[in-house]
Amino acid sequence: MKIRNLIEDVGGASRVTKRRQELFDNAEGTSKYYDPISETAKKLHPGMIRLTVSEIRPAGKTAKTIRFEAPALPYFQAGQFLTLKMKIGNSIVTRPYSISSAPFETRGEHPFVEITVRKPKENGFAADELLEHTKPGDVFEGEVGLGEFHYDSIRDAKHVVALAGGSGITPFVSMAKEIRFGKLDLNLTVLYGSVNADDIILKEELEQCACDRVKIVHVLSGDNPDWTGEKGFLSRELIQKYSDGDTSYFICGPQAMYEYVKQELEALQIPKRRIRFEVFGQSADISQSEDYPSELKDRTFRLKVKQGIHETVIDAKASESIAVALERVAMPVHTRCRSGACGVCRIKVMDGKYYVRPVNDGRRAEDKEFNYVHACSCYPLSDMTVRINIPVLDE
Amino acid sequence: MTQTIKYFKDRYDAIVIGGALAGLASALTLAKKGKDVLVLEQHNLPGGVATSFVRGGVEIEGTLHEMMSIGPKDSPLKIRKFFEECGVEINWLRVPDAYRFVDGKTGMNVLVHPGTHGNFETPAFEIARACGDEDGSLFKKILSLLQLCSRVYDSVNILSVTHMSKVRMLMEHPDFVKTAGYSAKEVIDTFDLPKSAVDILSAYWIYVGDILENLPFTVWAVLMADYLGYGSYVPAHFSHEMSLKMAERAMDLGCQVEFGIRADKILVKDGHVYGVRLKDGTEIFSDYVVCSAYPDKAYTSMIEPLSEVPEGALKFVNSKTVGVSCFSVVMLLDDSPENLGIHDYSTFYAPEGMDLNQIFDEYAGEGPYNYITSICTNLANPNASPKGTCIYSITALPRAEAWFNVTEENYAEMKKKNAEYFIRMESERLGVDLKEHILEIVIETPVTIAHYTGAYRGSVYGYMHTMDDHIVARLQMSENENFIKGLAFAGAHQISGDGMGPAVTNGRKAAKIILDQMEEDREAGR
Repeated sequence: MKIRNLIEDVGGASRVTKRRQELFDNAEGTSKYYDPISETAKKLHPGMIRLTVSEIRPAGKTAKTIRFEAPALPYFQAGQFLTLKMKIGNSIVTRPYSISSAPFETRGEHPFVEITVRKPKENGFAADELLEHTKPGDVFEGEVGLGEFHYDSIRDAKHVVALAGGSGITPFVSMAKEIRFGKLDLNLTVLYGSVNADDIILKEELEQCACDRVKIVHVLSGDNPDWTGEKGFLSRELIQKYSDGDTSYFICGPQAMYEYVKQELEALQIPKRRIRFEVFGQSADISQSEDYPSELKDRTFRLKVKQGIHETVIDAKASESIAVALERVAMPVHTRCRSGACGVCRIKVMDGKYYVRPVNDGRRAEDKEFNYVHACSCYPLSDMTVRINIPVLDE
Repeated sequence: MTQTIKYFKDRYDAIVIGGALAGLASALTLAKKGKDVLVLEQHNLPGGVATSFVRGGVEIEGTLHEMMSIGPKDSPLKIRKFFEECGVEINWLRVPDAYRFVDGKTGMNVLVHPGTHGNFETPAFEIARACGDEDGSLFKKILSLLQLCSRVYDSVNILSVTHMSKVRMLMEHPDFVKTAGYSAKEVIDTFDLPKSAVDILSAYWIYVGDILENLPFTVWAVLMADYLGYGSYVPAHFSHEMSLKMAERAMDLGCQVEFGIRADKILVKDGHVYGVRLKDGTEIFSDYVVCSAYPDKAYTSMIEPLSEVPEGALKFVNSKTVGVSCFSVVMLLDDSPENLGIHDYSTFYAPEGMDLNQIFDEYAGEGPYNYITSICTNLANPNASPKGTCIYSITALPRAEAWFNVTEENYAEMKKKNAEYFIRMESERLGVDLKEHILEIVIETPVTIAHYTGAYRGSVYGYMHTMDDHIVARLQMSENENFIKGLAFAGAHQISGDGMGPAVTNGRKAAKIILDQMEEDREAGR
């Protein structure tokens, strides 16, 4: 076999080595490090940033809006959430909150993000902290712009019907504002279900967004004789009334509403790709979940926690996730969605039994094989041993 | 502030920075030799780009198209063998076809199947037939070209683990030696093939990210022989299966593998590594470090102090060309592949024709990109997604510098513009409006890669294979390129270059450099 002639062919390896040596010899011996792509990545995803409370104002009778400022806020998409890390008593907890301000408001001269927190009916550990004890000037660490619950112009229909219940209105306020101010090309109809008019939050903000592209429809399910607007639940009739040709449905609200709305949309034979749910949070009472061994619900187990070569043993209640057990002793794992979906709190179970509610099981197939779990949605059913990441301390 | 609780041992035999395929292959190789190894991975799971993600409750492959060097169970190739030797058992699924090649300008549309056990008659026949071969002469030419590739491939596999004299090399591996000085184009040209055949045979160029004029024949030959002679494979549980099984096996062998931990500095004194420092100031000691970060990053910001970086190391990185990154639209579609008219696992499509120079120039810009590779995961892995859905990805490989001017302001628009172009292009080719079937869509860009893996400029291909940085020259000169004692690199930026198979090879090579250095240091009484 020959390519040119024997001499040239056989000399090829030496030739390319000489070429490479020349390239090396001619290169400069000083740093030419230049990576604008990583710089852009850092601006888009800065990770934990410091958020300073600049304003707290009522957002209806049952909720408050908290505004945070930071020297630089990352871009986010209307519908996404932020997390806040809070020290409450001996615990260090992280909780997600949908952002109720609009993405364009993170730009301007005084960039800010806002969340709107509703007073929970019960068990509002973190909500209490934000509603009762937080004041302007307080500083939190948090991550801004997380989650997959946002409009996608390639995927979704140009008309979105938002089906909101309770505090589930917040992501849609962000979307509505963004549309109202011409930053998002989309028609939005918000069907906002509340029990009574007093339960409506962010009413003024919503009204201010109403325009030819944003329609706000309040729907009251309680006994309100004076109410002249829509009444009842977010039923198929109501959904159909406000749909308009090719429509995407975005749903955010309490779990009972999810189940009801899902059934109504199915009855309307809406294609699956036109239905988007915000992630389910954790159940307030895990023992009510399917296949949960409810005889264990009041037990407290021993949780052996391995971090590197360090080991410690803590208590873990059957009724609380491993993420919560770790937060109670100020050994938090990194969490974001708290719904089992994002997987940032992935840890390894070395030993012991546990429960994961199917709707909160967002694990990869191979992770299941090797007993990795998402700590936010893993509930102990026996004494357990887990391996979690070594905490990263600040500089 | 340093940690008050002890999470690490005082000292390790070796520390591996980066728990992707190359780093894990290093860790496994070192652990098998009885070394006490610490792996530090900055992300919360192993694998780097060899990973999957879950959207709408469905797990979706992150990046893997097809693994080379696996081969069937009864005659395993080197990567399958390595995994088996390490006790890493992967559920490999064979990819049914090599690729479909479609040229929008000439109308060429051909499905190529791989041979088995190094037999190239099937692909040679299919390519020749598509080019109008009437008397079998074209078949013979293509077959002899592929057989040349095969001989070069066999030689590379032997020579990468065996040292021998130049004379013996010439005697025993003549085709390897005689083609080493030429580009893929120069060698292919001697076979006098019609352009249509060359176009089909060029389809895989995207897997090595350089045009055939500039690509060493050696690299192209390995690619062609491996894929077309033996076929390719994917893990049943996506590339995450491979990454996780490697990490778990490393732990079984005694390695400490930590996620969510980034080593910021590599500590060096008197020209020899002595440890690493984490972001929080924690110092962990070892005389040997395998670094998965690009040498560009290590030599300019990680080595502590920087005065320990010799000028040669900077000349080395400055003489390199950073390879391509990726732009990928990954979708979960709401119907089966059959109903959507998707019949092929892998398609290479050049809508504007197969002018590689022009395509490659376009790859240096912000788009649109007119050479794409599409993968329908379900056609190799029927259970990849729920019944009545399928996973479909469309990928181009823009060069890293193509996205230098993309900022946080125009990023979303850039993504959308290119993704819509791809979806339109593929919809027209397939005759189905893909946009009407999207359940989930994820767009991966150079920025995404940089964000998740920390890869320099978001490049997934390391340094480009070029005639000026020829793999044969890399091999011959490699011994003089360990600029800091006790430091080896593992990743696409090493000798074997890009791809998940080569990543494993690169990782094993890094382990060998470390083991040799350990031996040398032991003899010197360190």
